Amino acid sequence: MNIGLALIHWAIVLSMPILLVGLVNRTKSWWVGRKGPRLFQSAYDLWRLLGKRPVVSTTASPLFRAGAYVVLICGLLAASMIPLLGQFAPLQFSHDFVVVAYTLGLARIILMISAMDVGSSFEGMGAAREASFATFAEPALFLLIGTASAATGMTSFADLIGHLHNTPHYAIIVAPLTIALLILLQAEAARIPVDDPMTHLELTMIHEVMILDHSGPELAAMQYAAALKMTLYAGLIAALINPFNPLADPVGGVLVSLALMLTVAVVVGCIESLSARLPMRWVPAYLLIASVAALGSMLVIGLGANGV
Amino acid sequence: MNQLILAVLILMLGAGLCLLPIRNATRTGIGLVSQAVATLVAWSVVIPVLLGAPDITGEMPWAYPIGDLHFRLDALGAFFLSWSLPMTFLGGVYAVGYMDKYFSTPRHLGVHFALLNMISVSFLLVYTGEHTVTFLFGWEIAALAAWLLVIWDYPNEKVRFAGFNYLVSTHIGLIFLVAAVMILYTRTHSWFLDDFGDWMSHNPGTLRNTVFLLLVTSFGLKSAFFPFHSWLPRAHAAAPAHVSALMSGVIHKAGLYALVRFILLLGKPDEWMGWFLIVFSVISALVGGLYTVGQRDLKRLLGYSSTENVGIAGIGFGIGCLGLTWDSPGLVALGFGGGLLHVLNHAFFKCQLFYAAGCVYQVKHVVDLERLGGLFKLMPITALCFVVGGIAISALPPFNGFASEFMIYSGLFTGESIGVWAKLTLGLVAAALAFVGAVSALSITRAFGVIFLGNSRDSSLPEGREASRWMLVPMGIHAVGTIVLGVVPVLGLAMVAGPTALLMRAMPNGVATVNLQSTMETLTRIGLISGALVLSIGLVIWWRLKSPKTPQPMLNATWGCGYGAPTPRMQYTGASFSTDFAAHFKNIMVLIKRKKAPAGYFPDDSYVITDCVDSVERRLYSVISHGDETATDLSRKMQEDDPRLAFSAGLAALVVIAALVLLAEGVLP
Repeated sequence: MNIGLALIHWAIVLSMPILLVGLVNRTKSWWVGRKGPRLFQSAYDLWRLLGKRPVVSTTASPLFRAGAYVVLICGLLAASMIPLLGQFAPLQFSHDFVVVAYTLGLARIILMISAMDVGSSFEGMGAAREASFATFAEPALFLLIGTASAATGMTSFADLIGHLHNTPHYAIIVAPLTIALLILLQAEAARIPVDDPMTHLELTMIHEVMILDHSGPELAAMQYAAALKMTLYAGLIAALINPFNPLADPVGGVLVSLALMLTVAVVVGCIESLSARLPMRWVPAYLLIASVAALGSMLVIGLGANGV
Repeated sequence: MNQLILAVLILMLGAGLCLLPIRNATRTGIGLVSQAVATLVAWSVVIPVLLGAPDITGEMPWAYPIGDLHFRLDALGAFFLSWSLPMTFLGGVYAVGYMDKYFSTPRHLGVHFALLNMISVSFLLVYTGEHTVTFLFGWEIAALAAWLLVIWDYPNEKVRFAGFNYLVSTHIGLIFLVAAVMILYTRTHSWFLDDFGDWMSHNPGTLRNTVFLLLVTSFGLKSAFFPFHSWLPRAHAAAPAHVSALMSGVIHKAGLYALVRFILLLGKPDEWMGWFLIVFSVISALVGGLYTVGQRDLKRLLGYSSTENVGIAGIGFGIGCLGLTWDSPGLVALGFGGGLLHVLNHAFFKCQLFYAAGCVYQVKHVVDLERLGGLFKLMPITALCFVVGGIAISALPPFNGFASEFMIYSGLFTGESIGVWAKLTLGLVAAALAFVGAVSALSITRAFGVIFLGNSRDSSLPEGREASRWMLVPMGIHAVGTIVLGVVPVLGLAMVAGPTALLMRAMPNGVATVNLQSTMETLTRIGLISGALVLSIGLVIWWRLKSPKTPQPMLNATWGCGYGAPTPRMQYTGASFSTDFAAHFKNIMVLIKRKKAPAGYFPDDSYVITDCVDSVERRLYSVISHGDETATDLSRKMQEDDPRLAFSAGLAALVVIAALVLLAEGVLP
């Protein structure tokens, strides 16, 4: 087992959520001509929240406070199987991607239950939106994995992404797959145009409205888990593009991966600055673009195998 | 074999005896004791066979038209018997609590428990029957007993209707089954299933394909695959909770047993059969899943989720069939192993969810989502069992549903060398399965959130409290099973290893062991991950919430915006939770809205009621009662006295008959 790479992987997983959120916010500030918050501002925010005593609704059940920690643990477990650096993940076995998707699914259902727990209509609305958009996002991820699986014949997440670089049609399918992952990132990490983290109107929120009643350390756990999810998807995009194999060339692989993840954050920030949130009823159509992109690359693989 | 005969005799004796005593408590006692004893007696042979002992066969001489009866207990039958019998017993235990209020009334509870005994008898007949007549006999006993159990509350017209609906559907299924048996009998002149198998494995072709389609239809009706599911939500909503639980979790698994048994007899299936099973099952899973979203009756919701889950198991069987066709032992192990494991897991969590629904009904007298709410604080054990079952039914770790779906996904994303297009198609199936999982998470969050969380919506309902121990213990046992099979999935795999190896008996020696071994290793990893998840969640929660050092939180009202509610009816409802999602599928889910808008300056009475009706059933009844519109239009256009029409219709009929005669030459006897 490659202990050095595993340590680097964990260092990235733990630090990137702070840095990426900071970078997205800096990018958005730059577009509107402000200096913006410090890069590590969210670390200070989290630290401040950790010291606070939580306030819990009298309506809430005991599940409410536990939920935040379950969400965080699920995120960390999924992070150990995501090949952020390319063809490597600390925990790697056949069909680990199913575990990744379903662990994140557990985090989602617990998040929704915590939201429903306080009885507020707005939080129920957020949970309903999260659940409904997830049904459109989830198939896209599996179509993407199905493409990679058919192209490489491999079974573990890291191998799928890593070996994809050596397949004959990589150059054609990399663009649609990246777009699909970017859309998934925006949906899963609650970014514009699917969701607006900065909005101040409960009616228009998805993720933020679900954690309205969380406070103190629980809010910190929820926010860190959300940023972690963005890191995971940014890492997947980086691994998909990164030409270096971290097992053969660790220095190049890690550096390029880092640079790509930061680029993804800048891109996300630019999209947020230049576009508005979509109307809620258009979001499923936007998510379908991801599925269609993945289907397109499936078609390329299929036709390519037939020698077209 | 003697133990199985003894078990049948004990069950029948118990069924007879529990009709006799005067007191309901004695009747119940006799029923339960005979169930328990029969289960233990049957287990004494079932468990060894399941774990690899040789098959047990038995013969019984019988009178002329039927001839000798043959019985054989192999690993497949042993697998189904090993959990069906004890779960039926647990259902009986639950019934004691659920039927509590009838104990002091003149209603004869002995009949109810006698029928539960007969259900167990039918399992013993169906899962060991080698002779078609005993198989069909057991099949019919199960159908009739289930029907009588469903109509326990027969003074209620809706219940009688649901029961009748079920009775008709199950017998339509029987017609298809009998048709298939008749075809096979004319070919083999034998009543024995292994002779059928012999003939089918040597004669692939049109006739075998017909038999396959007939049987899939029949088993589809039994297990409530879409579009043969319309009897199911009604029956589940009408029956007592434990009967719904047993029907959904245990009794109708006989359809899946028969399907696997038939595939086992079939020899090498054609490729189209595997794909057909997969498509049929995917549609079932998709539609069943979608329908769970719109339901307001919790038991109907759980009923539709049965259609979804048999679909998921069916996908596994389809993959297994493809594996048999392509001589790919890995696919057979993952497909059939995953499918059978899902059958077992579904029995655990579905009974658990129905029992939880029964506990809610017991104290609140309704299972309508929109009138409940805030039950978590009043009945925490039921709520926890429901949430565990809900996470399991959405196939999420760390509970058992995940283990079986993981195996099915492993089959769909196989590393074996199959064609690229086949791989891509299986990838599409995986995406559909992912969609089904997300939909199921949606509807279970909705059900749990609306019923157990928030505040009570209707103050006219009785105050909630935890149900009696008779009900909590069976539910708890199922919950423990759900958790244990999730954290140690290898246990479940050990149970399905026998039947899966049976399906690979045509392949070279040792192949089965190697492939099951590798599956075992993967599942061990899944178990470790689930265990780590449970452990770390437990530790962190203890550290953050329970440890004496952590400060206790301040209590306050929910964040005021949208909540400073004048009435708890203003909480988010089940209908509002599903409406956004359902809007995208309005062609499949028919939402009927009845409303009276508020009118005038001081409106007094207004309401809005949203109902999700079953489109298959709606269509069925509309055709039965009004006829089919297209046919009516067509007949209106035809002039009755037009001779040209009459002649051409006659000619067409003659051509069809002639074609049947010509085509049947050499096909039909």
